[in-house]
Amino acid sequence: MKDEEWSSLATARVRALIIAAAASAALTALIYLGSRRLEHYDAALFGYTVASVIAFGAIIFRYAIWLRRPATRRYWLRGWQLFLDRKNLGRNLRSIVGTAFGNLVAQRFILRRSRTRWLMHALIMWGCIISAAITFPLVFGWIHFELEGARAYRAYLFGFPTVAVDGRSIVGWVIFHALDFTAIMVIAGCAIAIHRRLRDRGAIAMQQFALDFAPHLLLIAVSVSGLMLTVSSLWLGGYMYSFIALAHQALVIMTLFYLPFGKFFHIVQRPASIGVELYQNRGREMAQARCARCGAEFVAQAWLDDLKGVVRELGFDYRLKSGRTLQDYCPRCKRVMRGLAYAALAQRSGHD
Amino acid sequence: MFIDPRRCIGCRACVSACRECGTHKGHSMIFVDYLDRGHTTATMPTICMHCVEPTCALVCPADAIKVSEDGVVMTAMEPRCLDCRNCVNACPFGVPKYNTAMHLQMKCDLCFDRTAEGLKPMCASVCPTGALTYGRYEEIVPRRRGVRPVNVHVFGRQRVATRVYLMLPIEEDDLCVDETAEPSFRESWLDAQVENADKRNEF
Repeated sequence: MKDEEWSSLATARVRALIIAAAASAALTALIYLGSRRLEHYDAALFGYTVASVIAFGAIIFRYAIWLRRPATRRYWLRGWQLFLDRKNLGRNLRSIVGTAFGNLVAQRFILRRSRTRWLMHALIMWGCIISAAITFPLVFGWIHFELEGARAYRAYLFGFPTVAVDGRSIVGWVIFHALDFTAIMVIAGCAIAIHRRLRDRGAIAMQQFALDFAPHLLLIAVSVSGLMLTVSSLWLGGYMYSFIALAHQALVIMTLFYLPFGKFFHIVQRPASIGVELYQNRGREMAQARCARCGAEFVAQAWLDDLKGVVRELGFDYRLKSGRTLQDYCPRCKRVMRGLAYAALAQRSGHD
Repeated sequence: MFIDPRRCIGCRACVSACRECGTHKGHSMIFVDYLDRGHTTATMPTICMHCVEPTCALVCPADAIKVSEDGVVMTAMEPRCLDCRNCVNACPFGVPKYNTAMHLQMKCDLCFDRTAEGLKPMCASVCPTGALTYGRYEEIVPRRRGVRPVNVHVFGRQRVATRVYLMLPIEEDDLCVDETAEPSFRESWLDAQVENADKRNEF
């Protein structure tokens, strides 16, 4: 790597580090304020809090470094630029809501790959999302419960009273055991995933332990240890409760620290598909690039211009003698042009 | 992997066999294109050339295309691929394919499930003429006379080194691809019948 590239990389890392530190500091401030100056903060959850703050900073750092890629940066900016276009604000909002629902909530694209994989992903995703929605606000002191009367628990959000739940009602039982249900969802989803990874020949060839198995094993370990806490308190009279709690905490912290790496990073990266699809949707209304050889429309001209810019920025120079670049040709014509170049060589040397 | 287009008879056995691969089940990732059906029966087989510095991987905004330890440029990682098709339109060889409905990019990965176990890729195992051959350099090259295995292409001003070899006439060092013909080009009617999906590399 050249000196200039090193210095640019170092600058980018320092910048990302500053953004990450600022994000961690902002989360810490929100925890302080949201728990009413730590009045509702549970000191027993201090380990979880520190891990969450560090993991949040690490995710932001990774995201900032990811945005440094020429292609990522360009489409990120283009996505925002298109979204903020006042003329199309209404249509953009509709497009974003449609994409967010189809891709992130219903995940139809996974359903089209396989129903079993859709079920697997839905169980893991919703299990994790619901668990996170319950545990993070509790850990940060943003939600706490107070006993009201003999058996009613009132939930407080940022210190403001909300609904009261009868602790012995079915609703109360479901709410207080929500994490047990989500743990079962996650275990079932991971079991389907591991089953596929042990049997599918393609998956067996491609998978790596750290990338494809470790996340599932971590999630199963977190879910099982979480369920063991319930088992210990409900049926074993609190037997080994503190040890299980410590083990659970260690496993959760390991999972949080794994978030910026490998498979888990898609959790924060995947929403970028909203911007990509917005650009594609708007791109269909724009002028289309026609292949310089066969004339077929193959991509929006604006997208192709951006792509050519990215290719140049990466240091490639695909300019041809005619003044066009290789990316001005559709994929098939690129293959045919290579074939014709080969045929010309073969003819010249008298092979054909 | 060695490709000798001169030996290709356009039988498309490789196209069918490619669908059997476990890593891209049911979808063929190899192309056999006619060069100009109005004038010649010559066909060009194209698989991923597994570039040393893959353009497809570098233009991927999601960092989804990884290179294995052996230098095989892999299909995009499913959880990451955003279906932006940058790789499809940037690849100088016109190789990666995409499917928008499934948000997937796929490409030739040299049948990773087979080559990882020491087997030949599907295409090379069925090619009747040896246009696609898989094996060690020192085993294959002495058997092919009058040709030189070359792993350098020059597209306009860009030199692209690959891990897959192309068999060229013995006096050639590289294959230069350029488009000197001006817009007078007219695609033959037969070639124009190729489906648009094929031109855009949809699977």
